[in-house]
Amino acid sequence: MSKEAQAQGVPAQTAAAEKPALHAVTKRPITIAVAGNPNAGKSTLINAIAGSRLHVGNWPGVTVERKEAQFEFSGQKIRLVDLPGTYSLSPYTQEEIIARDYLVYQKPDLVINVVDATNLERNLYLSVQLLELGIPMVMALNIYDEAEAKGFRIDVPGMEKLLGIKVIPTAATKNRGIKELLAAALGVAAAPAQHQPRQLSYGPDIDQAEATLRANLAAKYPEVSQRFPARWLSFKLMEGDEELQRELNLDPQALPREAALEHLRRAHGEDLEALMADARYALASGLTREVLRRPELRKTEITEKIDRIVLNRFLGIPIFLGAMWLMFKLTFDVATPFADWLDALIAGPFMRWTAAGLGLLGAPDWTLSLAVDGVLSGVGFVLVFVPVIFAMMFFITFLEGSGYMARAAFVMDRAMHAIGLHGKSFIPMLLSFGCNVPGIYATRTLENPRDKALTALLLPLMSCGARLPVYVLFAAVFFAAHAGTVIWSLYVLGIALAILMGVIFKKTLFRGEAPMFIMELPPYRLPSLRNLLIHTWEKGKHFLIKAGTYILAVSVLVWFLLNLPWGVEHKRDSYLGKTGAAIAPVFEPLGFGNWEAASSLITGIIAKEIVVGTMGEIYAPGALAAEESEGPAPTFGEDLIEIGGGFVDALQGAGLNIVSTFGVASLAAEDESAGTPLQSAVRGAFTPLSAYAFMAFVLLYMPCVVVAIAMRQEFGSWKWFGVAFAYQSVLAWTVALIIYQGGSLLGLGG
Amino acid sequence: MNLAQLKPGEKGKITAIGAIGPLKRRLMDMGVLIGEEVKVVKIAPLGDPLEVTIKSYQLSLRKKEAQGIAVEVLR
Repeated sequence: MSKEAQAQGVPAQTAAAEKPALHAVTKRPITIAVAGNPNAGKSTLINAIAGSRLHVGNWPGVTVERKEAQFEFSGQKIRLVDLPGTYSLSPYTQEEIIARDYLVYQKPDLVINVVDATNLERNLYLSVQLLELGIPMVMALNIYDEAEAKGFRIDVPGMEKLLGIKVIPTAATKNRGIKELLAAALGVAAAPAQHQPRQLSYGPDIDQAEATLRANLAAKYPEVSQRFPARWLSFKLMEGDEELQRELNLDPQALPREAALEHLRRAHGEDLEALMADARYALASGLTREVLRRPELRKTEITEKIDRIVLNRFLGIPIFLGAMWLMFKLTFDVATPFADWLDALIAGPFMRWTAAGLGLLGAPDWTLSLAVDGVLSGVGFVLVFVPVIFAMMFFITFLEGSGYMARAAFVMDRAMHAIGLHGKSFIPMLLSFGCNVPGIYATRTLENPRDKALTALLLPLMSCGARLPVYVLFAAVFFAAHAGTVIWSLYVLGIALAILMGVIFKKTLFRGEAPMFIMELPPYRLPSLRNLLIHTWEKGKHFLIKAGTYILAVSVLVWFLLNLPWGVEHKRDSYLGKTGAAIAPVFEPLGFGNWEAASSLITGIIAKEIVVGTMGEIYAPGALAAEESEGPAPTFGEDLIEIGGGFVDALQGAGLNIVSTFGVASLAAEDESAGTPLQSAVRGAFTPLSAYAFMAFVLLYMPCVVVAIAMRQEFGSWKWFGVAFAYQSVLAWTVALIIYQGGSLLGLGG
Repeated sequence: MNLAQLKPGEKGKITAIGAIGPLKRRLMDMGVLIGEEVKVVKIAPLGDPLEVTIKSYQLSLRKKEAQGIAVEVLR
């Protein structure tokens, strides 16, 4: 490819893109790492390049998202690896360590450095560090359209000359410059020797110290200096990078005595890390001054205008709360009709079809029960979560992509910081009132592992929609006149305990580490629909596959517990009933020490609303069966019509819910299982006081299986779920004990 | 005078960074360097954190972190 291929401006179609045959196609796939600042449009660019071919996972052992794609471009196989967005390559944050470890140890063939053209200087600071690694590099000068609209004039050929790399203007949101970028990348990968990035000068003092240090290292530790990019290695050692020194097993005393460094210290002060940061920024500023011409008059930008209102002293919080209320409404109101439709689909036609099919095959009854109550109801549990996960991911991605997420954190940080959390923790917490699962997934917006873990630990205390049916059943039976107040008090109890636990955790488990709050407020940008959909799909798919498998397994397991030993007649004699009876004494001091309550708490682990279902089966068996066998079974055709009609209804329902702004009607529990037999059975088995203790216990005891799996997925281990399990069990038991025993002492036990 | 003492709209020039270790490095990585000009744009509605303009972009940081950044007021 020729230099002439890069005209200034975003090329619509250039010679480079038309003549891909210029590079030699190699059989081996080339690996391209994509690095850049957060908010530089990196993920939009990757979506534009790879689209649906992206594979999303986590970096091993950490919670940072890893995206990868394999595809062919003009006959060449390419493996694209997205590195976490970082401002620097320091050894202090998880993201930065991942990015630099990948670059240093995995040695990709090439780096695409995505740079925000509207914020050149700070972005070039990372580019300078990437160049130190000596890996061939192509720069994507992204958001170029916006820079042009602002009147910025960037001397692209000048940049190429100064940096010694190819620089391609791109506008990822408009799909512009993508082909040129890939063509340039292939050209560089085909002849890496001719595309070694320039070694930039850091000034005579640093350059000289580096040269001396490099020579000394090569003499003393030849094997080490061969493993690493030479210049990068000596810079890191100059900075006193502990991570690297540990990794290399270098004598920690050797370096400080190094004469070259002594000289630098005498001339520039003790802090060589600061000196290096200064030198790199000086380079970035110098480069920016050389290549960027800004308009003389700076007009007030749209971001400033929006922020004047959105971050206003008086309006900031009401606007934030309004936006959150809207997001909450939209997430659950859009999702609920679809969830109900899927639920009805599984519970109705699918189960009937399965039953009919197995009947035709002459399969024994137990297989039918396993298929319907074990497998299909398990599938149903997974599926009803899908709409809410998709809807939540869509809105979260929108909030992040638009730039509002950072503002939300800015507005809420003070309040959240008081209980040891980060401003961004508010959103996962809020979503958790709908369902804890999207809440857990939403913690991925928190960068710091400590903030993330603490948020995930506290959010199960937010009372989710699945706990509501339990409250509704008990409140209706025991507190008819004050049912609303009683239910409200449980929500408040959850919040109060979250605050309490937050303070306790801050002083115990999370003591000492005080994460900083140094966050960019990126300019507002309208995310493209395509991007939103790709992201939403990636996350939703991930949930479906991973979580689905586990939930199905647990659902089948519970079926076996309920139906074994073989031919069990009474639920009490099933393994579940026996387990319930065995653990019931634990609940004795809480006022509900019977096997029925204990068994329903066990099945409630799958999802808390199942507590009601299990109680229905135990206390009033037959009631549900009678309901099911009403009327003749619909035909296959009627089923199909029902499915189609149901979907249309769901669409309509979602639409109506968006339009309607009153109440959370769709979240209200359906009291289908609160039929009279169950209600009277419950009235006989509990007192108002033990009922309240039981509700509090359901609110607080271990997170459901889906939350557990979400935590496992987000944190890459069971550790945090283990902590949540332990503290919540203790908390639930203690609080229920205080309620029951305290209430009894006060004479409320009757 | 430190950064947390500036009022919205006021500008300062950074004279020293008191932080050490990761915090200092993070600040420097974000362009908070000695000699750099910084302007306080806003204080969050609840009084913390603050928004500043530095290297022509918007950065927010808590008062506690801003207190460690010494500035000399620019008129």
